[in-house]
Amino acid sequence: MKFKTLTLCTIVATLSLAWAAEDAAEIMRKSHLALYYAGNDQVTDVHMKIVDQKGKERVREFAMLRLDLEEGGDQRYYTYFKKPADVARMTFMVHKSVAGNDARWIYIPAVDLVKPVSADDKSSSFVGSDFSYEDVSGRHWSEDTHRLLPDSTIDGAAVYVVESTPKKDDKSFAKKLSYIDKATMLPLRERYFDKKGSLSRVFAAEKIDTANGITTVMVRSMEDVYAKRKTTVTFLSVSTNVGLKEEIFTERFLKSPPREFIK
Amino acid sequence: MKRASLVEFSIKHPVLTVVTCVILTGVAASQLPKITIDTNPKNMLPETSTVRVFNDEVESTFSLYEDVIVVGIAHPNGIFNAATLEKVQRITDEITNLPNVAARDVSSLTTIMNVTAENGALKVAPPMTEVPRTDEELAALRKSVLENPLFIGRIISADGKTTAIYVPLEEGANGKEIADKIREVVGKERGDEQFYVAGDPVARDTFGAVMFKLMGVFSPLAGLIMFIAIFLMFRNLSLCMSMMAVAMIAITWSMGLLIGLGFPVHIMSSMSPVFLMAIATDSIHIFNEFNFRYREKRDKTAAIIETMQAVGRPVRFTALATAVGFGVLMLMHIIPVQVFGGLVAFGTIALRVLSFSFIPAVLTFISAEKLEKAARAGDVEGGWAERFLRRLGYVGAHRPVITVAIGVVLLGGAILGISKIVVNNNMVEWFKSGSEVRTADTVMNQALGGTSLAYIVATANGGETYFQSPEAMHYIDGLQRHLEKLPVVGKTFSVVDYVKRINFVLHDEAPAFDAIPGNKETIGQYLFLFSMSARPMDLENVVDYEFTTANVWVQLKTWDAQAMRDVIAAVNEYKKTASAPVELRPAGIAYFNLVWNDEVLWDMVRGFIIALIAVFIILAFNFRSLKWALIGYIPLLFTVALIYGVVGFIGKDFDMPISVLSCLSLGMAVDFAIHFISRLKQRLAEFPDLQEALLWTAVRPGRGIMRNALLFASAFSVMLFAPLTPYSTVGAFIVSMMVLSALMTIVFLPALIVLLKGWLFRNAAI
Repeated sequence: MKFKTLTLCTIVATLSLAWAAEDAAEIMRKSHLALYYAGNDQVTDVHMKIVDQKGKERVREFAMLRLDLEEGGDQRYYTYFKKPADVARMTFMVHKSVAGNDARWIYIPAVDLVKPVSADDKSSSFVGSDFSYEDVSGRHWSEDTHRLLPDSTIDGAAVYVVESTPKKDDKSFAKKLSYIDKATMLPLRERYFDKKGSLSRVFAAEKIDTANGITTVMVRSMEDVYAKRKTTVTFLSVSTNVGLKEEIFTERFLKSPPREFIK
Repeated sequence: MKRASLVEFSIKHPVLTVVTCVILTGVAASQLPKITIDTNPKNMLPETSTVRVFNDEVESTFSLYEDVIVVGIAHPNGIFNAATLEKVQRITDEITNLPNVAARDVSSLTTIMNVTAENGALKVAPPMTEVPRTDEELAALRKSVLENPLFIGRIISADGKTTAIYVPLEEGANGKEIADKIREVVGKERGDEQFYVAGDPVARDTFGAVMFKLMGVFSPLAGLIMFIAIFLMFRNLSLCMSMMAVAMIAITWSMGLLIGLGFPVHIMSSMSPVFLMAIATDSIHIFNEFNFRYREKRDKTAAIIETMQAVGRPVRFTALATAVGFGVLMLMHIIPVQVFGGLVAFGTIALRVLSFSFIPAVLTFISAEKLEKAARAGDVEGGWAERFLRRLGYVGAHRPVITVAIGVVLLGGAILGISKIVVNNNMVEWFKSGSEVRTADTVMNQALGGTSLAYIVATANGGETYFQSPEAMHYIDGLQRHLEKLPVVGKTFSVVDYVKRINFVLHDEAPAFDAIPGNKETIGQYLFLFSMSARPMDLENVVDYEFTTANVWVQLKTWDAQAMRDVIAAVNEYKKTASAPVELRPAGIAYFNLVWNDEVLWDMVRGFIIALIAVFIILAFNFRSLKWALIGYIPLLFTVALIYGVVGFIGKDFDMPISVLSCLSLGMAVDFAIHFISRLKQRLAEFPDLQEALLWTAVRPGRGIMRNALLFASAFSVMLFAPLTPYSTVGAFIVSMMVLSALMTIVFLPALIVLLKGWLFRNAAI
């Protein structure tokens, strides 16, 4: 009798754990889609400010075009740099592949050269900021194992807390805690921990707005705890579902950017 | 007179005197557990010193680490085989997991950024993300690494047999502790590879740790040897005990005071117990004289009082000379030097107060029987010692011209030797050859560009983005080529190397593009391209955000201070041949080592000169005569000159430890002359026959001098076997100094006095 109860308890516990795990993965999937796949395409004007530990600032401005080929799947990114002045007109394109390696190209106007860029390392810094390439285009939820922790609140908003561990050893982080807004499914915070168990980076959604009926993180930041550096990304303008064509995301357009979308 | 009353008081109230000493010692000893230790030689200079402020600024501007350990992995057949590469990967991973290691900026084949062209694409990634398995993969890795000039001499040796891992440390981390952990990590590996752990933090912190350990071993060991030597000389345990007790009490008082006042025990002050132990041996003159007096009178109390009257004045003045010699160090600029000087001066005074109180008090406790035995022992031993001393004194007194002539020749040779002295410092060479630290450094310096790192910081007056201009690039490039002509420079590295590399790679490695691009826009875009893919630190290490300051890395193959001097000279030379609106300044650990060593060294030299003057004044006061002061000064000058002459001839660098020793020589060598001349004059006042008085002085106080010298020398001879060269140097220096200055005093002083007697004893009929 006692034994049966125990077995039953174990089964229930296992089931609920499995359910919880799936639930955590589902939360991460929804959050990923909300943050990286809003609409079918998007054009944003981005202001990026990198502040180091001495308070010195570096500013970058660029326009970013995004096209989703498949919800939660492959995407196209096109970046056109405006500032600093010496790099104006440089363009950068990414064909993001969920299954394989991304393909990247860069156009260098000073020597009028388009060059494919090999991209093995998604954790490397995006244009010298504290965001990595993966932070910009999103780390696919299926790459990590997720576990739901007790709910919490961030700035008064109720959040899910999900602990993610990479399935394959990853040098960028060993553990991540995501605090996902129950209302919008957007991550309000992400805390990254390294192999030593120390906090290494913190992501924060600092301002969330609704533009064209889509809830968007308008200001986000990433702080490197060790280097005491912080990068803040502000969306100056956002247009969603503007009808971007796949042909824009080709080498030809790297040299002559689509002026109807980039001012 | 005041001293005499202290002696009388101590004899009348011996128990009270001893109890007071014990209580004071107890109070001082209670402070000892509060000890704080500072082994970092950087703290020789205050944080506000120009070099530290600038170095901090440079480190902050370029996100550099103050301390970096270099780990070398070598395989006799080259490191490009799967087994060795696996070890490189595993060791890098394990090192990044060590506490206090700045994991994100560890550089090795698996983490450093490589810019290459791969199938027409630009690739920015570490050369090895996964260990290659097939021969083709191995060959490809080998080719890509060895063909990148940025890597040769830094991450890989030109012959492909040695690779390095650079391990930056978090601020305040202890280099020795991390080096030990790294040694543990590499110690687990099996195979044909050799592993080496090198770099400034390893040498510096290992030195600090070993130094404190040695102090703990050598102070008691020197004490023990002295104890045995005293026992052999006097055959009386109580005498030995009281003499050692005096040394221990003075050391406890000094260290207790230092720690009680809240000073950390620094490398320099950690040497003071040994110094004080040495200075304490001066009390041997009291015992020596007491032995003679007791033998003559057989009355204990009378012998004590007479002894103190006879040796009181020289003992007081030698103490004063020593205290002043060290006391002047308190006027120096460097705080640990000041503390050290004050500490030893205080200890010396304490020793003397004890000589006039504790020692007489203890002497009253010794039973007449034992004293009888001691006196007889002295008699028996006196046979050959007396004959030997008499002969020495005789040579000087009866062959003055030859003696002085030999002295002059020796002095001439010494001056020639001194002219050959090289001022240099090399912290790695403080470790003996064959030691782990030194071997690692030697091997790494042969294989790679050098473990000692300097920076040349170029600041533009031309405003923002100046270091994107071709003009600035060519100026820096020219500087690098110029510096690389120096044999001590193994490799240089700057933002120009990145620009050239990207230009080359973007143009599919066409040799014509291994050059600086012709316009600023291109350079700006190349660097932006680089920063798009590399670690932020890769670019930050060589140029600041605004491109107004650039940092040229200079790897040196030796830790010689001279190497850094050569680099600075070459920079100045370059400034004359090439011009740009740029200011060039040295920085980095190699530069810091040069500055602090020089500062300490010249501060000590300055202190030494001031102390020389102060000691001369004391001598003049003691003898109430400038002439006698000059005569008394000669053995000191002679000893110092001879030792430095030898230092110059054997090519030993005049470095910081030697400069510290100069001060000790001053305190000790003058002691013997004070004893000799004071007692000679006392004797002459009683029996005005110069020849007889000289021989008497050579035999009687001379015996005290010889005993003092031998005691001292035997105690310090243990240091000759220390694993750190500065300790061997201290040992050799003190042994030779003691023997030389005793000989000088006993042989040379009589010769000089005989030759100059007309000048010295005006109107006297002797």
